[in-house]
Amino acid sequence: MSLTAFPPPPSCTDYDDLRQEVRAFLAEELADFPPEKRAESWNGFSRDFSRKLARRGWVGMTFPKEYGGHARSALERYVVSEELLAAGAPVISHWIADRQSGPLILAKGTDEQKRRIVPRIAAGELCFCIGMSEPDSGSDLAATRTVATEVDGGFRINGTKVWTTYAHVADYMILFCRTGKSDDRHGGMSQFLVDLKATDHISISPIIDLGGEHHFNQVVFDNTFLPSDALLGEKGEGWSQVMSELAFERSGPERFLSSFALIEELIRLLREDATEAQQAEIGRLSAHLMVLRQMSRSVAGMLNEGKNPSLQAAIVKDLGALFEQDIPRLARSLVTRPAVPGGRDSYAAVLAYTELAVPSFSLRGGTREILRGIIARGLGLR
Amino acid sequence: MDSMIHDMAERLFRDHVTHRLREDAASGQFPEALWMRIEEAGLAMALVPEAAGGFGVLPGEALGLVRIAGAHGLPLPLAETLIANAVLAGANLALPGGRLTIAEGESLRLERRGEKIHASGHLTLVPFARWANRIVTIAVLDGADYVLSLPVKELALDPAQDLAGMPRDDAEVDLALTEADVGVVSRPVEGMRALGALIRSLAIAGAMETILEMSVQYANDRVQFGRPIGKFQAIQHYLATMAGETAASRTAAEMAAGSYDTPAFALTVAAAKARAGEAAEKVGALAHQIHGAIGYTQEHSLHHFTKRIWGWRDEFGTELDWTGELGRAALSSPHDTFWHFITDSAVQGAPA
Repeated sequence: MSLTAFPPPPSCTDYDDLRQEVRAFLAEELADFPPEKRAESWNGFSRDFSRKLARRGWVGMTFPKEYGGHARSALERYVVSEELLAAGAPVISHWIADRQSGPLILAKGTDEQKRRIVPRIAAGELCFCIGMSEPDSGSDLAATRTVATEVDGGFRINGTKVWTTYAHVADYMILFCRTGKSDDRHGGMSQFLVDLKATDHISISPIIDLGGEHHFNQVVFDNTFLPSDALLGEKGEGWSQVMSELAFERSGPERFLSSFALIEELIRLLREDATEAQQAEIGRLSAHLMVLRQMSRSVAGMLNEGKNPSLQAAIVKDLGALFEQDIPRLARSLVTRPAVPGGRDSYAAVLAYTELAVPSFSLRGGTREILRGIIARGLGLR
Repeated sequence: MDSMIHDMAERLFRDHVTHRLREDAASGQFPEALWMRIEEAGLAMALVPEAAGGFGVLPGEALGLVRIAGAHGLPLPLAETLIANAVLAGANLALPGGRLTIAEGESLRLERRGEKIHASGHLTLVPFARWANRIVTIAVLDGADYVLSLPVKELALDPAQDLAGMPRDDAEVDLALTEADVGVVSRPVEGMRALGALIRSLAIAGAMETILEMSVQYANDRVQFGRPIGKFQAIQHYLATMAGETAASRTAAEMAAGSYDTPAFALTVAAAKARAGEAAEKVGALAHQIHGAIGYTQEHSLHHFTKRIWGWRDEFGTELDWTGELGRAALSSPHDTFWHFITDSAVQGAPA
């Protein structure tokens, strides 16, 4: 049964030098970066950090050199990604573009789009957001209502996107919307490259999450004009284009390292003297983490070979979210210190932040229910 | 991965390891004809160097046979013989052929009596001991590790069995060992517990793949409320959970198998046995939930697999043993951060 077989990933010792370079860079750049900021994991935003990282050649690593990339392998990119996440570096400014929008533009974009956009992604200059969910279309992406109507010289967009992470600061949005009628539930969809800074009639308003953070936004398109060259890929092929992004989106180390700051805080407290029960819990956590990492690296290896491991990616994300979400419970079962938002000490602050963050882990990027449905179908359920 | 020896084993087990054969073995009948075929195919030699009769395949591939045997619920000590031969070959001892088994030897006392080494003590729940010619184990004398090949006919066995009805016998050891039966370990080797944990992790992963396949099949075939039960989201989610646990266990076991004979083995095998043992709980429970009452009968073959994984998780260290080991290594590691411990665990294992 191929779905449960994850081929061994290529050895990671080949990239040991790279790993040490990244660690040295992070030790210097994040020397004064406090644990409660690290707890934000890949939701931390810093254009300055993204640019510095890009100057080291660690953004757009897998992109071709002619588009400002570095023509390195998915495995090398993986090493950099996991080191950034484990350190809690503020990466969101370039993360989405580097992970999926850049590769999407490279795969489906016109030569002009590639030349205009991709080098700036690789320079760490561009922040992307993904316009996918709508008020009446969450897990059911095919219920998308936002529509692009063809007009002279381009398209008119009408509709509303929600939960659009970092739309308020992003430079571009990859917009998923309807461009035609189709009998096929998945037909008639397209993707657009929207320049958020240079397009009129887009209003972006904040949606504050339960932790008081502003990551989400509502984005309203009101007769918004997009030029013809904003169309990304084939008209009507939006559904399959989105599906091919998913293996990139769902299998990376960000799917199990989001609570890592809390793990480091917890282990710091237990290091001195731990009971046998505490040791065993840390051992269980270590086993899960070692295995998730191996599975995720295996998917990176498959992506590197040009395969489409979207089912394996769904498994990594489902297991990864369970792991990340379990960390506050685990911490509370081993250490009796209350969570304090903002913190009396770094453990209390990181616990508080993480407790409020974890419910989103099995919602974003495909809910648990959707992933399990995908996995079940992949198993051969009729 | 395409592998000739895997294909050969798959065909052999598919043709010969039937529900009936597993039933008969569980009631005490030794499946001799099947063992002869396995021996003829040379499968039990897969992990020894080519010069000693192996196939010259990498350890990861050789050990894949254990997963395949697990997937078929093979009621024979193939995995144990595979490991025993490799340990004997590693200590430059002759390979006796035939069925062998392994045991943890920490409880054995070795002493020199004249020219000979005398072994005494009690080995507990040795897999398939009564069907094996020799028990291979490792014990300590004067601070050095010795590989011992104990002839079963000179031991007193006290028979017992595991949950699946497979022989697990206590052995009373009190004998002078001949020179041919004691090997000096010239380089550090993994203890029998770790090697046993490796084969049990692989076997659990294989058996869980079969359990998952049976459950998918049943969910497609069984109709209630006018549709196959696999159409219900609750059942789909059970199956997806089983797939995740199974995939994680197989990945973990193969990670350990791939690091066999490397410094990373100690930690990866700990992770593998802990992870697979934990998964066995969930996968077994969900498979029975999906199968309903029919899966709880002797007639249905599900129990041959669920009882095996429940038994195997108890052997060669339980989850508690291995998570304790791993946790102590993590918490006492001199690495600056836990993350560095994790990245190193896959490469060089625990720092000395």
